[in-house]
Amino acid sequence: MTIINPYESLPCRLTEIVEESPGIKTFTISPKPINFEAGQFAELTVPGVGEAPFTPSSSPFDNDKLEFTIMKVGRVTTALFNLKPGDLVGIRGPYGKRYPLEKFRGKEVFIVGGGVGFAPLRSLFLALVHNINDYKKIYIRYGARSPKDIVYKQFLPKWDKLENVDILLTVDVGDETWNGRVGVVTVILDEIPVDFNNSVAIVCGPPIMMKFVTKRLLEAGFSGADLYLSMERNMSCGLGQCNHCRVGELYVCKDGPVLTWSQIKHVREPFV
Amino acid sequence: METYFLPLDKFVPLLLRLIEKYEVFIPTIEQERPHFHRFSSEDTSTISFEHIRTVEPVKHFLFKPIESVASFDKPLEKGIKPQAIVGIKRCDLKAIEVYDKVFLDSEFVDPFYKKRRETTILISADCPQPEPTCFCNLLGLNPWVDEGADLNVTPVRSGYVIEPLSPKGEAIIEENKIWFENTSPEDLEQREASRKKALDKLKEINPDRFKEDLYERVNVNEQKFCLSEASGCVECCGCLMCCPTCYCFLLYDEPSNERVRIWDACYYAAYARVGGGANPMPDFTSRFKNRFECKFNYFYKYHGFFACTGCGRCISGCMGKIDIRKILLKL
Ligand SMILES: Cc1cc2nc3c(=O)[nH]c(=O)nc-3n(C[C@H](O)[C@H](O)[C@H](O)COP(=O)(O)OP(=O)(O)OC[C@H]3O[C@@H](n4cnc5c(N)ncnc54)[C@H](O)[C@@H]3O)c2cc1C
Ligand code: SF4
Ligand code: SF4
Ligand code: SF4
Ligand code: FES
Repeated sequence: MTIINPYESLPCRLTEIVEESPGIKTFTISPKPINFEAGQFAELTVPGVGEAPFTPSSSPFDNDKLEFTIMKVGRVTTALFNLKPGDLVGIRGPYGKRYPLEKFRGKEVFIVGGGVGFAPLRSLFLALVHNINDYKKIYIRYGARSPKDIVYKQFLPKWDKLENVDILLTVDVGDETWNGRVGVVTVILDEIPVDFNNSVAIVCGPPIMMKFVTKRLLEAGFSGADLYLSMERNMSCGLGQCNHCRVGELYVCKDGPVLTWSQIKHVREPFV
Repeated sequence: METYFLPLDKFVPLLLRLIEKYEVFIPTIEQERPHFHRFSSEDTSTISFEHIRTVEPVKHFLFKPIESVASFDKPLEKGIKPQAIVGIKRCDLKAIEVYDKVFLDSEFVDPFYKKRRETTILISADCPQPEPTCFCNLLGLNPWVDEGADLNVTPVRSGYVIEPLSPKGEAIIEENKIWFENTSPEDLEQREASRKKALDKLKEINPDRFKEDLYERVNVNEQKFCLSEASGCVECCGCLMCCPTCYCFLLYDEPSNERVRIWDACYYAAYARVGGGANPMPDFTSRFKNRFECKFNYFYKYHGFFACTGCGRCISGCMGKIDIRKILLKL
């Protein structure tokens, strides 16, 4: 009998590393080591250094490869940034719950991203686009610190051309190349052109942005049950056992990582 | 269930039979406190059933304080030996129930815990003399065992009343049939009397009961209870390390590619720190309160019972003289 060891990572190979913006890179792993559904995450290992949780940024329907878009913030991510194509990494997962796409059917999907928080949203967006006729309309509202911090620059114009897709960007601070909106992400949330009775909102970004965007979207008219929020917590096991990722009585790794506002509104400081 | 009588001088022979198959741990008194001790054939130490639970929590036997759980580039060698834990108390059996919920009743079964659990024999013992730190009775437990172990032992005047509580326990009796006798009505009366006396003692130690809606109260009274009661705390985490139900752990990788699992505790300041440095539990008050929410609210909501057994280890171990009962009774 083989024992299944949930702590074991599967060795896999980095095949491409692309710099998206200063401090953010997209890492491609192929062949695809594990399957996942939009919303789920995995633990990536830098051998001999450690693990950290990341949500894939590629389409769950891409059968050839897995991509992660990662910001360098500390120990494991710095070690990742020092790797080269051809190097081995480890992966275990997928963990957590997927987005309930069946509940989004026939609705307007309003996606709000900030900084590297756009990474998991790209995977969701690509999953939505895969069956684009299932949804009434897809909105993307994305904020970055400056024009050079915008990720997926090569894809955004293509996505914007898709029928039923409406994209608006903003940067905190503009430069000479920029003629779009300037200001934190809430400046592009003044107008939310959706039917609140038939739409869902999905948010992922840094904590401060999560806090203000959540407030704004609730004020605008989204119900707490239709507001899907990507939660960040310290994670160790990813298995619902080590307890590190708790938000109130919920585990981000098991009940999340995406939780609705209704699920977490009783928590004193849900965004950190 | 059927009960047997084992004469005083037959317990050591029984242990000698057990060490043929198991690593056997018995409670003995060292420095006036009960501790688990590995039994060997040369052993001359006396087994102590009369005292309360050991100083060390039983989680040591099933969930090692530190152990390798995976290796990136080579198969993991794991020798998990069958063991028999003798003299385990009711409160610690309840703690094993907590662990079973987390590591077995899960989408991801922990293979090491499972293996140890399957190959461990639990031989429990009643507590004839509860001590001032004991409060299992406030959490719905009795100071004796009628479920959760393989065999239970109650010392009576000239020996032990032994009650098998599982097929594994029955098998041990079957294999050593020659030493076991039938219990006399007098033996069983003595067992009853000893149990009643222990329960009365516990009621005397703990005259007040927790409120019915305790699980909600740990939430409702936001910071109040922490501020007044946590002031003596020096954040040593002793109460969490010695707690038989605390199961937080951390995984880290060695440069050798080994993945290590180590006990962790929510009172450590960096426990909840996320990438880049933000921390959802930055102040001690939120961490102090987390222990109560975790045991009496979150665990209860997930599994339907409290992750506290009333063993009182956190009380005897605390250098800040913090008594968890006082906090819970105040809520
Ligand atoms: C579900 C989920 C999905 C995510 N997806 C993405 C994504 O797609 N892209 C992305 O860029 N990021 C993502 N993140 C965030 C990412 O996981 C973190 O950026 C990453 O964990 C940082 O790791 P690090 O070792 O580089 O950072 P560090 O800041 O070095 O370390 C963070 C970890 O190390 C521990 N630690 C560090 N220093 C100490 C210390 N002094 N004492 C004790 N502990 C310490 C922390 O407790 C923590 O576990 C995601 C997070 C979650 C939870
Ligand atoms: S044992 Fe006492 S002093 Fe130490 S962390 Fe626990 S409550 Fe604080
Ligand atoms: S919290 Fe204290 S009394 Fe409760 S199980 Fe843990 S150590 Fe025992
Ligand atoms: S808390 Fe109860 S079961 Fe545990 S040692 Fe004390 S009396 Fe025995
Ligand atoms: S990461 Fe361990 S419980 Fe969620």
